[in-house]
Amino acid sequence: MSVVSEILHLLVTASLWNQVLAAAVLLLLPALGGVISERSGVVNIAMEGMMLTGAFFAVVADLGLHNPWLATLVAMAAGGLMALIHAVVSIRFRADQIVSGIAINIFAAGLTVFLVNRIYGIQDVGHASYSELLPSLNIPVLEQIPFIGHVFFQQNVIVYVALVLLVLVHVVLFRTRLGLRIRAVGEHPQAADTAGINVYAIRYGAVITSGLLSGLAGAFLAIGVSNTFVPNMTDGRGYIALAAMIFGKWTPFGAFVACLIFGLGEAIYANNSIIHVSPYLLSMLPYLLTLIVLAGVVGRSNPPAADGIPYVAGSE
Amino acid sequence: MGHTRLRFLGVVAAAFMLVAACGSSTSSPPAKQYKVGLVTDIGGLNDKSFNHLAYVGLQKAITDLSVKGDVTESKSGDDYVPNLTNFASKGYDLVIGVGFLMAEAIGTVSGQFPNIHFAIIDGAGTDAKGNDLKHANVQSLFFSEQDAGALVGVVAGMLEKQGKAKKNAHVIGAVGGISIPPVNHYIAGYKWAATMEDPGIKVLIGYSNDFVDPAKCKGVAQGQISAKADILFQVAGQCGLGVLQAAGQNSVYSIGVDADQKDSDPSVILSALKKVDVATYTAIKGVVNGQFKAGALTFNVANDGAGYAIDNFSLPADIQTEVDNVKAKIKSGALTPPSDIPA
Repeated sequence: MSVVSEILHLLVTASLWNQVLAAAVLLLLPALGGVISERSGVVNIAMEGMMLTGAFFAVVADLGLHNPWLATLVAMAAGGLMALIHAVVSIRFRADQIVSGIAINIFAAGLTVFLVNRIYGIQDVGHASYSELLPSLNIPVLEQIPFIGHVFFQQNVIVYVALVLLVLVHVVLFRTRLGLRIRAVGEHPQAADTAGINVYAIRYGAVITSGLLSGLAGAFLAIGVSNTFVPNMTDGRGYIALAAMIFGKWTPFGAFVACLIFGLGEAIYANNSIIHVSPYLLSMLPYLLTLIVLAGVVGRSNPPAADGIPYVAGSE
Repeated sequence: MGHTRLRFLGVVAAAFMLVAACGSSTSSPPAKQYKVGLVTDIGGLNDKSFNHLAYVGLQKAITDLSVKGDVTESKSGDDYVPNLTNFASKGYDLVIGVGFLMAEAIGTVSGQFPNIHFAIIDGAGTDAKGNDLKHANVQSLFFSEQDAGALVGVVAGMLEKQGKAKKNAHVIGAVGGISIPPVNHYIAGYKWAATMEDPGIKVLIGYSNDFVDPAKCKGVAQGQISAKADILFQVAGQCGLGVLQAAGQNSVYSIGVDADQKDSDPSVILSALKKVDVATYTAIKGVVNGQFKAGALTFNVANDGAGYAIDNFSLPADIQTEVDNVKAKIKSGALTPPSDIPA
């Protein structure tokens, strides 16, 4: 009984929801990348690896350049490069996109640890100082609103960027000619090709965009939330983003709702010092919530029709 | 198209391949030189914590005792047995496993190679149920983490009692990685000593369920800070770096663990030290001198295997006196910090 009241009490605190939003954004960015890539017809399970690569290069660049903004651009470029590998392998060489994605995730895990050891030896990677971190930004006036202010307007700058990107991706995908083309290429590339759309260009662009977004998430994780790189610090977030994408039926806002649910589970878990339940039980919460929602609410989730199928120009 | 299923197969396959991709090593040694193999747990050598310290101990042995030392980093829990077996099957004189998480692996492999010496930091060679198999070739290097936890707990308790911490609410926190004995020993000593100094204190205890990801520990730390904690003790390896950072960003105090974490964040006022380097070196020296002893070897305040460091802080004289006083009493046995977290 007291546990229930502890959780209920927690649910009405603004600091919890502040944590929920920040945790959700870490998942939202790679999930948006996944949505874009898969809407264009390229299966992408490599967000984990792109995010990890982004996190690593964000820290290296930040410690070298002492500028979090440049470091973020470097991280996005690193994520984009990993995505380019996935694009070339799966679009140009028409390899199995799942295998390519797995390869990138493993490659990223190995590459980052290797580079840590090469660059920093057995020493600690080092820590970005406060001035070298992506800053938190309190929006004047709005932050004064009770409850809402703390939840929405006292966040890291990347949280605002992500929310803008969420709307932007939705608008581009569903309200613009470019979005129509991306979706056409993902549903029926032959028809799109016949209509004069460059299927390959659209797919390359979409996959690389997913890398840029995952790299941005990596930068947020490494030099926004944390201040250093730790091997495998993405800790499966790229995979959870993948689940969020499926859960959200390949739509930006659907994925965001899923990310919020995962974020809520994570934030409740983070308060296990105050809730007197086994931390193991609480750590299951995000996944339990997913199962419940998937089973009861979402219903059947269908990917774009041509998702995962390499396009051969002129084929039927 | 069944893509979703394929996708999950892919993720599962990735996990297996990650496991398979790990576990490499070097060798082809000259004869007549003692060979020591060190296997890290999943924290890796860059953890700036006990894996790092074990490596420092090994380096010292390489320099001072002219042993040949090799290291393998484990990427997942499934690597422990293959990595240990690799060294044992190549006839290394001593194979060291770093960390409680490797206890069962040490138990398994030491049974298969009865002529090879094994040492394990923070654990014993156990069976799957955690029972010590008491193999005659296994030395357990234990630490009284509660001694180190108690020393920093004295400082935390006195700061709260005197109202010298930020929020003056008599609330402190401890963020553990996973709830396992070496973590809980620290927290037990910390809570016990803080309560001894400030009986009205409230000690929040949380776990991140992770030793790697700083963001997870930061979340737990923020939860404790929201609940008015103003001194946070991290007992979570690299994950705990997030605790130190959360404390810094909220202008409260933090306490580092295992190694001196002074440089990790300006908020670090103290570090509770566990001298894994001393233990590793001692174990290697034992083998080299032909004095290997199976069973437990405990490192504590009395033999300088546990202690504390003062970091970005100047300790008030009265608190220093009290810490010295408690330390002397623990050494003499007049005070014994508990190894289980007091209620």
